[in-house]
Amino acid sequence: MAYSNWALESVVPTFQLEKIDTVGLFSEIEPVPPSEYLTTGLAKKAPLATAIGTEKARSEMIVADVLVDLLDHLDRSISLFSGIDFNVDAENGLTGVCDFLVSLSPNQFYLEAPVIILVEAKNTDVKLGLGQCVAEMLAAQRFNAERGNDIPCVYGASTTGIDWVFLKLEEKCLYFDMSTYTIERCDRILGILSSMVAQKA
Amino acid sequence: MAYSEFTLETALSAFHIEAVDTVGLFSEITTVDPTPHLVTALARKAPLATTIGTEKAKSEMIVADVLVDLLEHFDRNISLFSGIDFNVDVENGLTGVCDFLVSLSPRQSLLEAPVIIIVEAKKDDLLIGLGQCVAEMVAAQRFNAEKGNDIHRVYGTITSGTDWKFLRLEEDNLFIDMSTYTIERCDRILGILSSMVAQKA
Repeated sequence: MAYSNWALESVVPTFQLEKIDTVGLFSEIEPVPPSEYLTTGLAKKAPLATAIGTEKARSEMIVADVLVDLLDHLDRSISLFSGIDFNVDAENGLTGVCDFLVSLSPNQFYLEAPVIILVEAKNTDVKLGLGQCVAEMLAAQRFNAERGNDIPCVYGASTTGIDWVFLKLEEKCLYFDMSTYTIERCDRILGILSSMVAQKA
Repeated sequence: MAYSEFTLETALSAFHIEAVDTVGLFSEITTVDPTPHLVTALARKAPLATTIGTEKAKSEMIVADVLVDLLEHFDRNISLFSGIDFNVDVENGLTGVCDFLVSLSPRQSLLEAPVIIIVEAKKDDLLIGLGQCVAEMVAAQRFNAEKGNDIHRVYGTITSGTDWKFLRLEEDNLFIDMSTYTIERCDRILGILSSMVAQKA
């Protein structure tokens, strides 16, 4: 069992989560303007990524650039990981590779607590990434607690590059924002990610 | 059997290819200046990619940007594919996913012949990717021939993002350039890739 085996229907009851659906939980967050570099990057690469259509193309031509912009926005005081093993609890199926991980630690050489945002990339349907994302968020919660870095909330995003959905896990409460945010309003996406890092989302 | 299972030894014997080792086969090629966007991209992301150290990070933070620059150098008259299935000949093990593929066709929504460059990304040791890359080049040769687009040469690249190795397949002769080219001389790498597109390498 690994992260990718979890569906929303299985992860919620298995870990006894209370699922709370909201409309626009993250919608009022202050936008953060993208850097000029990101704006150019998206103009050059986002249409190409969607034409190619694979998860890989979407990750490398859109998602990675958005997350690097988040890093730069915060003067690289946080760390970003891509495609690393995140094996936390084999017995409970919390193992596997995470697409992207953001930690509040500035250490970029290896992953340190606290892990704050988990990002799952999908090639078509963002909904398909939700169960996996929640499992990774639970793993992050445990990873942080084990290291005495018990921050109150852990956040998640499932994205096709174009569409983004966001989640928040606070103890056993899993908050869903039913709204889908689009990369065309990249300032909103950066705003939401930044407020997650600030633990204000 | 799939591309990833081939070693250089098994690929050469399975497809009756004669390998010729050369020194600096591609070293005299005219350089191509990177766009300012690529220069900024590499400054921002290459150190991050090598620190994270995964194949995924290196692909998305270095290799993809270099290949998009190649596309722009040719005014998008060629096409780039990332992570697509390239199943050509199941019986002979020429199936699997290619990291990156460049075609001379401008059609970006679907892979069309002729495929000209195959790019295999590796986490660190480039030699490990040789067999896989050669198998993919043979597949490209067959794919092109089947579609009546029997171009003279097919090229291959194996890269860790920072280090790049280049190959040329001409009928049954595989030319391996034993030199390794570095991303610090990104103008040379773009020059070599451009001359491959022009079929002059």
